[in-house]
Amino acid sequence: MIIELGHYALVLALATSILQSLLPIFGALRGDRSLMQVGTTAALATFGLVAVSFAVLTYAHVTSDFSVQNVWENSHSLIPLIYKYSGVWGNHEGSMLLWMLILTFFSALVATFGRNLPETLKANVLSVQAWIATAFCLFILLTSNPFARLLPAPGDGKDLNPVLQDIGLAIHPPLLYLGYVGFSVCFSFAVAALIEGRIDAAWARWVRPWALAAWTCLTAGISMGSYWAYYELGWGGWWFWDPVENASFMPWLAGTALLHSALVMEKREALKIWTVLLAIMTFSMSLLGTFLVRSGVLTSVHAFATDPTRGVFILAILVFFIGGALSLFAFRATHLKAGGLFAPISREGALVFNNLILTTAAATVLTGTLYPLVLEALTGSKISVGPPFFNMTFGLLMLPLLLAVPFGPLLAWKRGDLFGAGQRLFAAVGIGLLIGGIVYYVEHGGPIMALFGIALGVYLIAGSLTDLALRAGLGKVSGSVAFRRLKGLPRSAFGTSLAHMGLGVTLIGIVAVTAFETEHVVEMKPGMTTEAGGYTLRFDGMRQSNGPNYTEDSGHFTVSIGGVNVTEMWSSKRLYTARRMPTTEAGIRSFGASQLYVSLGDAMADGGVVVRIWWKPFILCIWGGTLFMIAGGVVSLSDRRLRVGAPSRAKKPKKLVLEPAE
Amino acid sequence: MLFWILVAILTAAVAVVLLLPLLRANARAEAPRSHDVEVYRDQLDELTRDEKAGLISGDDAEFARAEVARRLLAASDAVKTSETRTSSRRVNRLAQLCIIVFLPALGLCLYLTTGRPDVPDAPLSARLANPGDDPNILIAQAEQKLAKNPEDGAGWDLLAPIYYRTGRIEDAAVAFDRAIRLLGPTPTRLGGYAESLIALSGGLITTDAQTALQKLLVLQPNDPRAEFYLALALKQDGKKDEALAAFNTLVAQSPKDAPWLPLVNEHIAGLKDGAATPDTGRQAAESAPGNPTSDDIAAAETMSAGDRRTMIQGMVDSLSGKLKEDPANFEGWMRLVRSYSVLDQKDKAADALKQGLAAFPASGAEGKQLLALAAELGLKPAGETK
Repeated sequence: MIIELGHYALVLALATSILQSLLPIFGALRGDRSLMQVGTTAALATFGLVAVSFAVLTYAHVTSDFSVQNVWENSHSLIPLIYKYSGVWGNHEGSMLLWMLILTFFSALVATFGRNLPETLKANVLSVQAWIATAFCLFILLTSNPFARLLPAPGDGKDLNPVLQDIGLAIHPPLLYLGYVGFSVCFSFAVAALIEGRIDAAWARWVRPWALAAWTCLTAGISMGSYWAYYELGWGGWWFWDPVENASFMPWLAGTALLHSALVMEKREALKIWTVLLAIMTFSMSLLGTFLVRSGVLTSVHAFATDPTRGVFILAILVFFIGGALSLFAFRATHLKAGGLFAPISREGALVFNNLILTTAAATVLTGTLYPLVLEALTGSKISVGPPFFNMTFGLLMLPLLLAVPFGPLLAWKRGDLFGAGQRLFAAVGIGLLIGGIVYYVEHGGPIMALFGIALGVYLIAGSLTDLALRAGLGKVSGSVAFRRLKGLPRSAFGTSLAHMGLGVTLIGIVAVTAFETEHVVEMKPGMTTEAGGYTLRFDGMRQSNGPNYTEDSGHFTVSIGGVNVTEMWSSKRLYTARRMPTTEAGIRSFGASQLYVSLGDAMADGGVVVRIWWKPFILCIWGGTLFMIAGGVVSLSDRRLRVGAPSRAKKPKKLVLEPAE
Repeated sequence: MLFWILVAILTAAVAVVLLLPLLRANARAEAPRSHDVEVYRDQLDELTRDEKAGLISGDDAEFARAEVARRLLAASDAVKTSETRTSSRRVNRLAQLCIIVFLPALGLCLYLTTGRPDVPDAPLSARLANPGDDPNILIAQAEQKLAKNPEDGAGWDLLAPIYYRTGRIEDAAVAFDRAIRLLGPTPTRLGGYAESLIALSGGLITTDAQTALQKLLVLQPNDPRAEFYLALALKQDGKKDEALAAFNTLVAQSPKDAPWLPLVNEHIAGLKDGAATPDTGRQAAESAPGNPTSDDIAAAETMSAGDRRTMIQGMVDSLSGKLKEDPANFEGWMRLVRSYSVLDQKDKAADALKQGLAAFPASGAEGKQLLALAAELGLKPAGETK
């Protein structure tokens, strides 16, 4: 009965969504306040209903109710409790329900915290949110119902996919979805504004916190996913340019661009139309990502063609929302008033530069991801676009952007002084080159590009600190005054600084690992030693053990340096009994930001075992940098004050070429 | 009944929540741009604060102030000129009606087409506490017992053939192997083990399977199934003459009307022709009564639960048909009774038991085994059920 109540709650959520998608927008058109307010209560009711049905599905998983097909397919009675919980979203139906839960959660947030929004805008936003909710609720109920029942109930489940039985994957999807779906609010704001035909600085002020929150969660989700792939898949790589990864990376690139252009729009009322377009594009990328991952089109275009129900449904949603929003945009954009003017060299100009590169980069990733699919659909030949393509195109695109990042915050609004900013960054460039040189010397013989890469990373960090120092007037005023001014700086300044610093830290990690990592593949017998990263590893032998739902073969290694034992590590291979599926549990030890990574291969007939050993210098910087970015997002989000872009007067009276913003 | 009451309460509660704003007194909508004015005022205050804190110079602040003030003026003008409207009673009523009708109508229609109000919850702990005659739970219980006590040979012996029949061939091979190690080899266990291995390797008679079959022949000389597979192994190895000799011996030992003779003769003919067809045990396994073919098994692994059940049902029905033609197959009857019981078809199982007892009277050794199986599965012969 509980299960069926959960099912009914989901059906009822569809009904409330449909009401929410019609009544408030109708009220906004007629100026009818009570109709508009239905949006608020309906959003809360929908969220409550979806939460009930999600709780019921969780209950079914936790109590191992195998009369629910979803539980039977993705759980097992012996699985540890935490994976009974994470199994709820570790599958197609459950993850779509989570998608729905987060979508309605954001609607409820808009309903609750949107008191300072103009009534009509709020009503329209809630209606647009409800359109999306209706589409996805229909998708769930008609093609992927998590409450489908099995009679007679099987005796035990088929187990959760073993690679998903990991704490990282328990947290990763909710974070990622908070990011993906968070951008739906920006999308709804954009569409609502287009419907009203009015966009101004105030609009950007309301959109920015949502974009910031979604971006922060998406950053955390991607970072977590990357770390999970690194330690769980046992290949030692941290980013594979896999279509599933790209699907989450594209909204991130577009979202980063949105974040920056919304800033320009809020402070200077410029780039209006472009910001609206970005808000639409970012969520479109999220929808595209959902389509790619959920339709099965990635496994094979032909697999998609044999059971196209789900794929075609999501494709229809995709076409409706992206097509609809872009048509609306095309129809309304010409009616929007162009905003403030600015010179090419100015903070706005720098942000436009950022936007151009980020959107081009997103388009590049999109091409690389979709090209193989299109080719397979047209000619039937299967190709894969690998890391070389992405590294070449994406890397080259990022280079000028990274060089420009520290300039952005240093330039004044409206018209800036590039030479002045350059002078002020001189110290940062110097520090970057110096430390880059030191790293080069320490790691001897690293390629010259790596030297440059490390220098670039340090330059980013130093540059973001320069910004803070200059704002505090360090060096110009006395230490105590500078400290007081530093404390008085808006939190968003610290947020900017932290996020840009994080970019530098991540870059250092990427460059160091790419250039200096070492990999050995050796066959080891107990007692044998091998060298990696200056450490000596001794293989001590294998041990067999049993987990709750798997059997495990672990190899024990002792790590020593100069004859002194430093630490020991286990690296193992598991066999999950229910699915008869092996997984690798790599042994990983951190030394500072660097890691020793040991992965077990096949056992040899003579008692030896193939061992892959990587030395990964500074690898933790990659994810450490994302922590800085997340912290930057959180700090900025906590800044409730509103900043106004104050144009700096041109020092010398000279003729300036002003450009329209759009 | 309780379920429908809860459904009604839930629907009513949601309807009330949606109706609340419509039932409140008609409030005037605010002027469309009054919020913008607030935002711009806020921006001006901010500017003053920044100027005092020394974050921007006086000149810069003046510039910015002028810009914001222009926006503020435009917004205030818009507020003054905008007209305010009140909601009409008629529209309000219509919206109320829409909610009251639409919510239960859509909710019930969609739920009744997709939901299963008749299916009760089945948390595993409750099912384990009171298994009744749920065959899946009996298997699961046996599995859980074995997980705790893997040395229980009888448990493995019981599960192995069930696994094989339900298409869980890998589990079957493991279970047969454990049963043999713990309880000692019998022809049934060895044969089952060998057939599981053959099915797993896609019809190839592997060395392990050959070893098992040879052991079987020690225990039960002249077992036609073992001899057939071993002959086939020779053929697969390319030892044509030896294979031919082995097949010929098999024919000589078999009764004239043995059901496997046509297949054996086919192999003999093939070998004599010298047409070295790349042969596997696949056909052999198919011809053994009621066995799932390796294709079936591969298919079963990718099937949905419903399809799998249909496939198993089909295999069981074909076994039943073969037994009707040739009732002198004791193993077949044992298998049929067990299968129907696993498929939860008590009547058919009882019926099969009765027919089996007709072929093997209850007084004989085989009949007693049939009765023992029936007792274990909780069956009574068909005649006594009513």
